[in-house]
Amino acid sequence: MTYFIAKRLAIGLLTIWGVVTAVFVVVRLAPGDQATVALGPDASAAEIEALRHTLGLDRPVILQYLSYLGDVVRLDFGESYRFGRPAMDQVLERFPATVQLTLAATTIAILAGLVLGVLAGKNPGSLLDRAVSTVTLALQALPPFWVGIMFILIFALQLQVLPSAGGGSFENLVLPAATLSIPFTALVARMTRSGVAETMSEAFVQTARSKGLTETQVLSGHVLKNSLIPVVTVVGLQVGTLLGGAVIIETVFAWPGLGSLLVGAVGNRDYAVVQAATVLIAVCVIVLNLAADIVNAKLDPRIRLEARR
Amino acid sequence: MTFHARRSLSLIAGTVALLTVAAACSSDDPSSPTGESGATGGDLTVAGPIPIENLDPHGAASLDAGTQLAARAIFSQLVVSNGPGEFEGELAESWEPNADASVWTFTLREGVEFSDGTPVTATDVVASFDRVMAGEGPLAGNFGGYTVAAPDETTVVFTSPTPDAAFLGKISSFFVTPQAAADEGFFQDPIGSGPFVVESFEAGASLQLVPNPGYWDGEPTLDTLEFQSIPEVAARMTALQTGEVDVTWSMPDDQIAALKSDTNLTVENVPSPGVMTMWMNASTPALADPAVRRALWQAVDFEAIIGSLYPETGSAADSPISPAVLGYAPQEPVQYDPDAAKAALDAAGFDYENTVIRWQFSQANFRNFVDAVVSDLAEIGVTVEPLEKEQAVFLDDLLALNWDMNLQQLGSQGFDAATNLGRLYTCEANRMGYCNEELDQILAQAGSTSDTAQREELYAQAIDIIWNDAVGMYPMFVEQPYAWRTSVEGFSPVPDGLPYFDEVAVSGD
Repeated sequence: MTYFIAKRLAIGLLTIWGVVTAVFVVVRLAPGDQATVALGPDASAAEIEALRHTLGLDRPVILQYLSYLGDVVRLDFGESYRFGRPAMDQVLERFPATVQLTLAATTIAILAGLVLGVLAGKNPGSLLDRAVSTVTLALQALPPFWVGIMFILIFALQLQVLPSAGGGSFENLVLPAATLSIPFTALVARMTRSGVAETMSEAFVQTARSKGLTETQVLSGHVLKNSLIPVVTVVGLQVGTLLGGAVIIETVFAWPGLGSLLVGAVGNRDYAVVQAATVLIAVCVIVLNLAADIVNAKLDPRIRLEARR
Repeated sequence: MTFHARRSLSLIAGTVALLTVAAACSSDDPSSPTGESGATGGDLTVAGPIPIENLDPHGAASLDAGTQLAARAIFSQLVVSNGPGEFEGELAESWEPNADASVWTFTLREGVEFSDGTPVTATDVVASFDRVMAGEGPLAGNFGGYTVAAPDETTVVFTSPTPDAAFLGKISSFFVTPQAAADEGFFQDPIGSGPFVVESFEAGASLQLVPNPGYWDGEPTLDTLEFQSIPEVAARMTALQTGEVDVTWSMPDDQIAALKSDTNLTVENVPSPGVMTMWMNASTPALADPAVRRALWQAVDFEAIIGSLYPETGSAADSPISPAVLGYAPQEPVQYDPDAAKAALDAAGFDYENTVIRWQFSQANFRNFVDAVVSDLAEIGVTVEPLEKEQAVFLDDLLALNWDMNLQQLGSQGFDAATNLGRLYTCEANRMGYCNEELDQILAQAGSTSDTAQREELYAQAIDIIWNDAVGMYPMFVEQPYAWRTSVEGFSPVPDGLPYFDEVAVSGD
């Protein structure tokens, strides 16, 4: 198990280096830099050149890369020119809101998805199964952006039961979390359904039943544990996607998280913030995937045995 | 954030008449706080179109709309511009240019204090200005070569290497901070001499303010003032209608009708310095001939386009700068006449076959406008390729003249033609490949005299050249729309989209 985790950690570090480098290259490949954007359409070429020099953007790219890499190792992501403060401070100020939103959405998705999936999967082909499958397919197809606007129109404007925008309170969290969780709920439900349906036909389920266990005991003790492995993997992977989805949802609901910060920073060519935010997101995704791998290894001994080879 | 339910209608009746009274009070008169209007206090939530990301009015974001908006609540300017050529002293009690407008002397108002009780002195003004120049931000670009000195504690002297008649307009974007502004972290919890002080600030999300009891012009009546960022237009409009937000502005035309039908809202437009500006690159061979540029202008039915796309905020322009700007001079409108346009292009030998006009713009809300113009030009056989670019790419290409036609909504900072015409239309600026030495001379002369009447005369000559040479098409003046809940009293819309809130109160809170 230790070897398994160490190997995954090493791969994780290598991935982070890759992300750090890729982000550095990509933001600099895009035309226009922060000096152009900061000075706006009225600036003269000489003013832009002077600012570029002050910001060190006229140094050779390889030197910029090396000093950036050195700083990152010391966890220094530089000063955000736009916000006038350390980039990581700005990112960390927004991070909790995104974590809150993502966690809320994940919780909704796992609870609702598992319940729907088990209900549908334990009697494959039943009316309930077909109903759940149809609804989840429809939910997965809905664009979150549109769902968000619809929620605002219904719950904030018409019914006036929930606020339409902003962050900070539980009421503010409900609509964005619900919107963000919808495609994820559908996915978890569909994964769980097929896992449960498949496991139900396994011989050991027959054995469990013939031991005289109740249907609930069979489901919770035998079926669910065995059908969860793909679900856990998907949850681990999807949390990363959720962080991406949060970008759009945060903008619709004016939720003050990392997503809206990152979108703005890309537009403003705020290199320091883009780098700090993407590295933080990358670390989160890698840690979550690692966690999913470890949980899976616990659930299924075959996985940790395979890693040893 | 508090979540307001819809406020009852009965409260509105008594407040509308008072609104005009409060709005009419001069901000200069310390004896006229809004208390007179009957409403006291209240919590006001404001969501403008641009988020407030940085409270530092001196640095990289100094001319950013969000930063300027916040600065007007937290800090003080030397002078405030109220309209074309009209200025009102804030920290400055009086000011005087020398004959060629290269030396500007300001006398500071006595007894003004920062919110921590220390007096605002000429040394603070000098330190703030030096900080602007050292920061090399967009504001510094206005003051190339300037030096500043404080001969005594109430006098500040700005000296320019060249005459600069538009100085007052430019300096109205300059805010004075304590010298501690240079310290790390100052702008997370800044100290200023404006009407409000910062309670908390989350960059790009929300700014919470409370009144400054020691404000020199009288403590604001509001209990709290919050600026919220709601980037998505539909969400912002909804928040206004539900009462989560009390004031907003810069709404798109297609939203205004719905807001107007809501009896809880007041919707009002004011003329702004904004002009829809479509420069044509004179260094593009196909567009080098003024006759060609005029013909293209003539080929577009702007009246119809404005009528259908900007029914609320647009009106046909008759000058490259708006009537809200010093130097405005109306010209003979260009009449839509596709046949005459075609004939003129034929006469000029325009190569329809091999000319593709690359038209760049960066704002998604211009798309419909661009499509309409492109199809009008296609009618007479001219091919235009619309190129929507991301802002940074757009700016890069703009400066590199990597376009044939360009679309921007251009304003004039400080309501002065010098910051638009004087800065962008010279041969040296080379902004649209157009170079005219006669125009250069007129602009230089207009920038170097403090005689307003003479300046207006010179800008009229400059505008005549720009208009008739069709340096660009100037189809539309843009009005600035505002909407606020009827429970808000004393709010007065301002042309530049950066309103003040020190005389505002909310009833029924």
